[in-house]
Amino acid sequence: MEDNDTLCVGIDLGTSRSSVSASNGERHVVDSYVGWPVDMVARKVVQKSVLVGRDALDNRPMLDLRRPLERGVIREGSERDEEAVLELLRHLTALAGLKQNGKKRPQVRAVVGVPAEAYRVSRQRLRGVMDGMADSIMLVSEPFAVAYGLEALLHSMIIDIGAGTADLCIMQGRYPAEEDQRTLPDAGDAIDERLAKALRERHPEAQFSIHMIREWKERWSFVGEPKRRALVNVPVKGKATELDITDEMRAACESIVPPICETMMDLLARVEPEYQHKVRNNVILAGGSALIPGLSDVVDRALSELGGGRSTVVKDPIFAGSDGGLAIARDATSADWDKLSL
Amino acid sequence: MASDRLGAAKLRVLREAVRRNVEAPRRVRPKRAPGSPPAPLLWMVGCLLIAPLVYLSLPSKVGSPVTARAEASVPAGGRAAPSEAPQAAPQRLARAVLPLPIRRIVLDPGHGGAQTGARADSGASEKEITLDLALRLRRLLQEASFEVLLTREADVTMSLEQRVAFANARRADVFVSIHVNWISRRGVRPVETYHVGPTDDPDVLKLAGAENRESGYSLGAYRRLLERIYIDERRDESRALARTINAELFRALSAVNPRLENRGVKMAPFAVLVGTEMPAILVEVSCLSNENEAELLTTDDYRARIAAALLRGIRSYSTDLDGVAKKEG
Repeated sequence: MEDNDTLCVGIDLGTSRSSVSASNGERHVVDSYVGWPVDMVARKVVQKSVLVGRDALDNRPMLDLRRPLERGVIREGSERDEEAVLELLRHLTALAGLKQNGKKRPQVRAVVGVPAEAYRVSRQRLRGVMDGMADSIMLVSEPFAVAYGLEALLHSMIIDIGAGTADLCIMQGRYPAEEDQRTLPDAGDAIDERLAKALRERHPEAQFSIHMIREWKERWSFVGEPKRRALVNVPVKGKATELDITDEMRAACESIVPPICETMMDLLARVEPEYQHKVRNNVILAGGSALIPGLSDVVDRALSELGGGRSTVVKDPIFAGSDGGLAIARDATSADWDKLSL
Repeated sequence: MASDRLGAAKLRVLREAVRRNVEAPRRVRPKRAPGSPPAPLLWMVGCLLIAPLVYLSLPSKVGSPVTARAEASVPAGGRAAPSEAPQAAPQRLARAVLPLPIRRIVLDPGHGGAQTGARADSGASEKEITLDLALRLRRLLQEASFEVLLTREADVTMSLEQRVAFANARRADVFVSIHVNWISRRGVRPVETYHVGPTDDPDVLKLAGAENRESGYSLGAYRRLLERIYIDERRDESRALARTINAELFRALSAVNPRLENRGVKMAPFAVLVGTEMPAILVEVSCLSNENEAELLTTDDYRARIAAALLRGIRSYSTDLDGVAKKEG
């Protein structure tokens, strides 16, 4: 439903990472961090008024650093977080090839997927923030965008495990209602916090930051039996020391599994009995934390207690949401977009 | 066949997604004309203007407790009263007429389930802390021979409307909603206690807006409730309960937490306070945005101290009621 003068954009605005997929073929992912230099000295060093993504993370000591969708919503009362969302979106649309002040700017139709909790709670504020970013905007919840992109709209369950929240959503051939969805606070950030706590207890003299914890998780996370030891280098009293964090990593990663499995079972019980086996065999794991090795096996074991089933991890968890958003943007008619113009 | 079904499903969900997007912003966030003030500002100004007007237009029912108490002891003949006692307007009833003790208390642990509430950087969540405090307080109150009911006893999602309905259906004598604050100025660590009423404090309005976000009430139902609060005599009782609880809480916690700030008793239109039919308060026992406070909240001792202070506050209010009843009797 697009023409040459139209650019369709799908954006997945995540707590930890955000991605953009555009109809011109551009696809990019950035860490969802935005930072402003704390003073004139920092401004002179970084030579930018605002930094986004990895750039912001790498220069964090000099920045007022924000992760604007902490816990899956824009923090209440924080104008700085709203500004951070705006900067993040500006950055993503620029990566998609859209210059804000371009002379021949195409009509931009953007579908923005946000954590389900942000969709419920911060929808109005998000729309307000996006005013001026595009010509028309549609906000959808991330699990819905993923389901749409995968064409898994019928008899499926999306488990989108991000950083701030894990969103579970049953798709029954209709737009998901409140009762078809659940949001859990146990997700990637909860793993980080539990891992940090366990390591502090076991190695009180070890020095590490939450950013180091996140990097370790990216590399060493797993559930089930370990296939390798997780060895990290940490300063202990200033001296580089190798620590084996396998057990702590496993415990932290596995801590999010029981609530997800319980909620999955609860949602399954709400599906009409004759379709439950179809949904059980069409459980889709998405989101950055779905990449934790062994997670799909654990979900399958939980499904076997219900009579069997199968979960699959989406092929490209990083872009599943933005690709879904792009598919929605392309499929919506011009009449739809007219209604959504800003 | 399958592709037809998929095509139809796609069309259906797309229409619904568009509909929700079209409805949502127009309902809550109308586009403003150039130069006009932003909507939140208008809303706040509206509240500031309307609340005092309503407040002032209801003379005897919304006065200070001292005024109200004085009026209570003066016969209706003090005014140019009609020949018959008015039927419609509520009359303050002398405590001595119904010297009833407090028996049943509903405790409301704030948030729960999908509604995490505030969360500390350490990961501690408001919903977990409020539930733990309510369970501790229940034990203490039961030992003191009160009947105690909890709006939730596990980590489950409950709308504010459900909480209110629970308390009203069980005909509780008092309602205590337990919350933990989160304030953007991380340095502060206040305790504060609310009872129902209008307010012009922007911070309180913001807090009430946040706490009321998932009330479950329709706009019409909420408006009817709001109209009721200004003629509701239980407000004086709620204020008395809020005072005793806030005083006990600050006394108990400041002994181990000298930097604690006492923000005192305030009025706010929290949905749980508006809808309940008994004396009701909402207490913000601590503040998770403050790192030290969040650390204290992880300790058994500090939580036990909070629960004990809430018990003393409720017992003190109950004892005061008995005292008033005896005095008036």
